[in-house]
Amino acid sequence: MHDSDPGRVPGRSLDPEPMAARKEPQTLVEYTEGDDASAFAMMLGGLIEANVAGRPEKRADFDSLKARVGIQVDDIDESVTLDFRAGKLKVSNGLKRDRKITIRTDADTVMMLSNLAIGPFGMPVYFDTVGRGIVAKLLTGGLRIDGMLSNIPTLNQVTRVFSVR
Amino acid sequence: MAKIKAFSPEFAAALKDEINKSSTYKQAGKGWKWTVGLVVEAEADKNFPVAQGVFMDLFDGEARAIKMVSDSEAGKADFVITAPYSRWKQVMQRELDPTKGMMQGKLKLKGDLPTIVRYTRASQEMTECTTRIPVEFPDEA
Repeated sequence: MHDSDPGRVPGRSLDPEPMAARKEPQTLVEYTEGDDASAFAMMLGGLIEANVAGRPEKRADFDSLKARVGIQVDDIDESVTLDFRAGKLKVSNGLKRDRKITIRTDADTVMMLSNLAIGPFGMPVYFDTVGRGIVAKLLTGGLRIDGMLSNIPTLNQVTRVFSVR
Repeated sequence: MAKIKAFSPEFAAALKDEINKSSTYKQAGKGWKWTVGLVVEAEADKNFPVAQGVFMDLFDGEARAIKMVSDSEAGKADFVITAPYSRWKQVMQRELDPTKGMMQGKLKLKGDLPTIVRYTRASQEMTECTTRIPVEFPDEA
């Protein structure tokens, strides 16, 4: 039977990286409160982590995204802060200071936002059923996005990372 | 209309019928190909002394099979939603929206989050189906 183990081969480096320095799989998402992170924080963190891990195009956005984003869900009285740090995300319970963007809405709209389709050039699609629903929420005050107008490229990037589509 | 005992084999059969009658579910569940387990945790003080499970074989907008199983059997499904009996009762009586329940940690979900988020409408309709079954709850019998 063929033994695929090369053993010690003269001239071949055994391992360019010492065992101690070998990289462990990196955790993309950390929780400020650790095990005490709220269910909502865990859900959003888990959703973004799964999105990014499985989709290279979302990973590219995630790796370049630097922004502190707050999400306040009024009907369940939950809020989180998503601190995107170019390839890492720190999720905290509640709204922290110095947010670039703050999304205030209800639980159903959060689910709609995570179902927003992404179209050509990475632009969110606002003309299908989900997109129209979001626009209607924006127009009727059911969805408020503080910092939207001055941070549209960042908001689009957050949307792409957040959407499962 | 005669009431059906909650979490009985008759309940499982009625739920399967309701889901298969729903044109909304048929459309919203298109593409779904995973099993779902509902774990109903025991609450002895609510006359629900032993944990139970509901195992749902859902495929492409159709309920192929729904049966009552043990909680551990339900826990083997691709997606598992776990909550105490009284929480499930709230869901079935429209007092608790399951999406909000999951966001608040009242219902615990195990499974691929992006997939379940993609099928939010299907899961909402499935919940609606449970509310259409006339159910007799053990703590009300």
